[in-house]
Amino acid sequence: MILLRLISWPYARKHLLRWLLTTAGIVLGVGVFVGMRTANKSVLAAFNQTIDRIAGSAQLQVTAGDAGFGEEVLDKVRDLPEVRAAAPVIEATVSYGETAQSNLLILGVDMLGDRNIRNYDLEGEDDADQAQAIDDPLIFLAQPDSLMVTKKFAEEHGLKVNSRLPMRTMQGDRTFIIRGIMKPGGLANAFGGDLAIMDIYAAQKMFGRGQKFDRIDIALPEETRLEDATAKLKAALGPGFQVEPPSSRGEQFESTSRMYALASNITSVFALFIGMFIIYNTFAIAVTERRSEIGILRALGATRGQIRTLFLVESALAGLAGTFAGVAFGIVMARAMAGYIGGMLTEIYGVAQSPGDLTLDPWLIGAAVAMGLATSLVAAVIPARSAARVDPVKALQKGGYQTLSEGENRVRRRWAMAFGAASVVAFAFSRFGIMTYVGYLLAILAAVLLSPALSFWLSRVLRPFLAGVRPVEGALAADSLIQAPRRTSGTIAALMLSIALVISLGGLARSSYDSLADWMRIALNPDFFVTTAETLSSRSFVFPGSLADGLRSVEGVTEVQPVRSVRTMVKNAPIMLIAGDIGMIAKRVTLPAVEGDPQEMYRLAAEEKGVVVSANFARLHDAHLGEVLDIPAPDGDLRLPIVGVVDDYSDQQGTLLINRSLYIRYWHDDAVNVFRVYVNPGADAAQVRQRILNKFGSQQRLFVLTNREVRDFITRLTDQWFGLTNVQTAVAVLVAILGIVNALTVSITDRRRELGVLQAVGGLRNQIRHTIWMEAVAIGIIGVALGAAFGAVQLFYSIEIARRDLIGISIHYEYPFQTALILIPVILGSALLAALGPAESAVRGSLIEALEYE
Amino acid sequence: MSKLLLFLLAVAPAFAQDPRQIILEVQKRQRSESQRYEGTLEVISQGNQVATKRWLYQRIGSFGNSKAILRFTAPAEVKGVGLLIVNHPDRASDQWMWRPAIGRDQRIALQDRSTRFFGTDFSFEDLEERDVDQYDYKLLADEGATWKIESRPRKSSQYSYSYFWIKKDNYTFVRIEAYSKKGLVRTIDYKDYEQIKGIWTARVTEVYDVARKSRTILKYEKLDYNLPMKDDDFTLQALRREL
Repeated sequence: MILLRLISWPYARKHLLRWLLTTAGIVLGVGVFVGMRTANKSVLAAFNQTIDRIAGSAQLQVTAGDAGFGEEVLDKVRDLPEVRAAAPVIEATVSYGETAQSNLLILGVDMLGDRNIRNYDLEGEDDADQAQAIDDPLIFLAQPDSLMVTKKFAEEHGLKVNSRLPMRTMQGDRTFIIRGIMKPGGLANAFGGDLAIMDIYAAQKMFGRGQKFDRIDIALPEETRLEDATAKLKAALGPGFQVEPPSSRGEQFESTSRMYALASNITSVFALFIGMFIIYNTFAIAVTERRSEIGILRALGATRGQIRTLFLVESALAGLAGTFAGVAFGIVMARAMAGYIGGMLTEIYGVAQSPGDLTLDPWLIGAAVAMGLATSLVAAVIPARSAARVDPVKALQKGGYQTLSEGENRVRRRWAMAFGAASVVAFAFSRFGIMTYVGYLLAILAAVLLSPALSFWLSRVLRPFLAGVRPVEGALAADSLIQAPRRTSGTIAALMLSIALVISLGGLARSSYDSLADWMRIALNPDFFVTTAETLSSRSFVFPGSLADGLRSVEGVTEVQPVRSVRTMVKNAPIMLIAGDIGMIAKRVTLPAVEGDPQEMYRLAAEEKGVVVSANFARLHDAHLGEVLDIPAPDGDLRLPIVGVVDDYSDQQGTLLINRSLYIRYWHDDAVNVFRVYVNPGADAAQVRQRILNKFGSQQRLFVLTNREVRDFITRLTDQWFGLTNVQTAVAVLVAILGIVNALTVSITDRRRELGVLQAVGGLRNQIRHTIWMEAVAIGIIGVALGAAFGAVQLFYSIEIARRDLIGISIHYEYPFQTALILIPVILGSALLAALGPAESAVRGSLIEALEYE
Repeated sequence: MSKLLLFLLAVAPAFAQDPRQIILEVQKRQRSESQRYEGTLEVISQGNQVATKRWLYQRIGSFGNSKAILRFTAPAEVKGVGLLIVNHPDRASDQWMWRPAIGRDQRIALQDRSTRFFGTDFSFEDLEERDVDQYDYKLLADEGATWKIESRPRKSSQYSYSYFWIKKDNYTFVRIEAYSKKGLVRTIDYKDYEQIKGIWTARVTEVYDVARKSRTILKYEKLDYNLPMKDDDFTLQALRREL
């Protein structure tokens, strides 16, 4: 403690900026880790809360994918003695407000019996003074325009009982009347209070759901065991239905979101790695700088252990500071991420939620602190050991750098080669999931161990070029790098990793966009998409199948392909089932086949003899050509062989394509989510669009999206996803720049005497400046070269991990040369900028002090 | 046994103090082949807010084997909403609701019978008839002008037991107190009796919901018995017909 106060604190205070820069990597690593996890956790907590609040006292829920099921199922459920109360539900999310930017979760319930499951405490129900809010269930039931909203929603939108709320329904524009206002608490708090209740039969009409329910919520008699009731219900309803407690939906989401967390974990670990090298670099230099101080301490009786501990504690404190800043940064990041993840959740699981407050997990914060601390300690182990080994006699002599010996370099090179070879071997066994990650880690270690040797070699290569530009300054700058590789090796390793991360993220985005563009060109070729919402992903509203004939009769329309897409549980995952007229679709769309013959697979699927699955479904769920899939339908499992595997990017969870006639027969559902409309070659597309809108737009909720609009929408969605990585890219570049500033600051301090001597023998200030600038640019060039090279490996692993464990989609490997080219001026410019301050400090300091240094 | 319709019927002379016989005598005296009335409902909330509705009630058949249609006539928002009740001697009744604005009929599930009948203080169960054999009776007290009888359902019911007060002179219900496991649920008082076609008939019924502290007053107008009616007017198709 005394040593910390007397020795470390004055040093840290003197080099405050350097200490702050040192922690940048830890800030980034911890920030990404805390941010992504907190966002995930908050969305999951909001999701579970919504599920809980909506479920009320329901102990079990009956579902059959999001296609729903016929009303007769309710009678089957109610007839069982193991069921005390059964309440049907329809759930839908609608956008509201002038700009349709907010979502309102509408819960369609049977107002007669729903209070057996859920409790609606209405404003004014037991309050004599609340004259405005009388609960009249008869009027609520009698009028299909009745809506009950939460107090929060009512207050936010200035609504009272009998206020009007316009909404666009499948029966055209309708005005709904607020006939009840729910008190805060319980159900009214679900979905952040943006919740409305309406009669389920009115909801069926509003959303075009026919005579179907989404779900039945079930309460059991006190004496009935959950397992018994589940078994009885499953037996009574058949395999097409899921009978699960409400919480199981949260568990499904958790397993999906875990995959997405994996991607951020990789970035997080990478950032911590970068941070580790920055800390290592700073401490390695600090040990060199403070050799005389260490020598005095040793001469005064300090033990090696005390010196080692001193440096480790200093590093731990820097790590802790970085960790706390990282936690704060993570919380800021989590707020932005939560919206994205929430949207994904709504899309996949159909349960809307809005993460309000962030859920901060003390265990997560603890883990982040441990991670930050461990990183900083590991980074400081070697410098601390070097410090402990300092010979007090030699240390008190002036001059003499600790240089990296050739022997040490050789050992590193050998280890790097061994890790590189092991990484290749591990990849050969990558069919065993974990081996990909082992190979990846070994590749990183190999690159890091090889980086000093490579930077040494590159410095030598650069020397003639630098000397060519400025004979004296260039040679001095290159020699500085060649003679003291330890001073810059950490920075260059950090820079290499940062640039590799940026290259891989950029490459992943570029490759994804290109793959997506290819898919859109093939799959999304209709002129128009007639949908029930402004987006293709919303499935709350559906069209009746009969609209297809109406659309076909519009002048200028040559072909209409109705498509139904519903999410259903296949292989224990929520998979998108797409039902279309495959005969018609196959004439216009042939997706690239991964397994099976393209002609044959579409023919068999059109004849209802099989299912065509997407490659990501096949990869993520280990499915292959010929395998028979059990697809749960209300009337029992639909068993179909896989007749083809194609590259289809329609859904991140995977898609199954079956013929619509088969779907209608098994699901008793002729509803349609989207009509793919082709226009006559000679017809004016704009006019045809207007004709469709004129004919159907006023009768029902209907949008006609052009091909460009749909492609733009998908690109926007992808942009949103990669928007998350942009934050990481920006921070990675920032860390790289900070690393250079750090290295140069340290380098100037380290070479104060050398620079002082140069000035003393007649070196001009400008020459000193140029030397430092060129050294900075040289570090930048070496970092960019190594980062760009290692980025190629990093991108390969990123694509492989995305393909294997995240989205299952094969993304073409495409090196982002554009990103790499952009990085050259960014990094070199930043290096030059980073050098300005240290260069000025080098030339403006006292010459005598500089000559006295060390 | 019915708790509401029972008292809607008239009563006849009694001849015994066996509680089951008393109830049978009540049913016998109330017996009619059909019934029609126009009812006015006033639901008075705890805060003394009054919601008024009107309905038309028609019944065909005699006790335990009857069918009834109840259709709201006012206010305009609820006009046409109907309820068809088909009573069975040996089991709970079947009930369907019709909502003209949605164009849907909906079966009222057994589990929902304990819920409030369209925002009144009656429950759906209160509207159905149940056979005398579906209950066990116990004469609790002879209170001078009335008998106090305890009734316990043999089959599932929202009520654990009820107390009936029955007038000795004309075998009419004066009051019912219905209890669940948690205590008193609701009370029903019968007032303003008069004889119509020889059947003693209450012209006002008042229900008090203990938990909600609200009251529903049902007034019977243009009440008549044994009018000519057709079975066809008591079907789902008939329910779906507009007024």
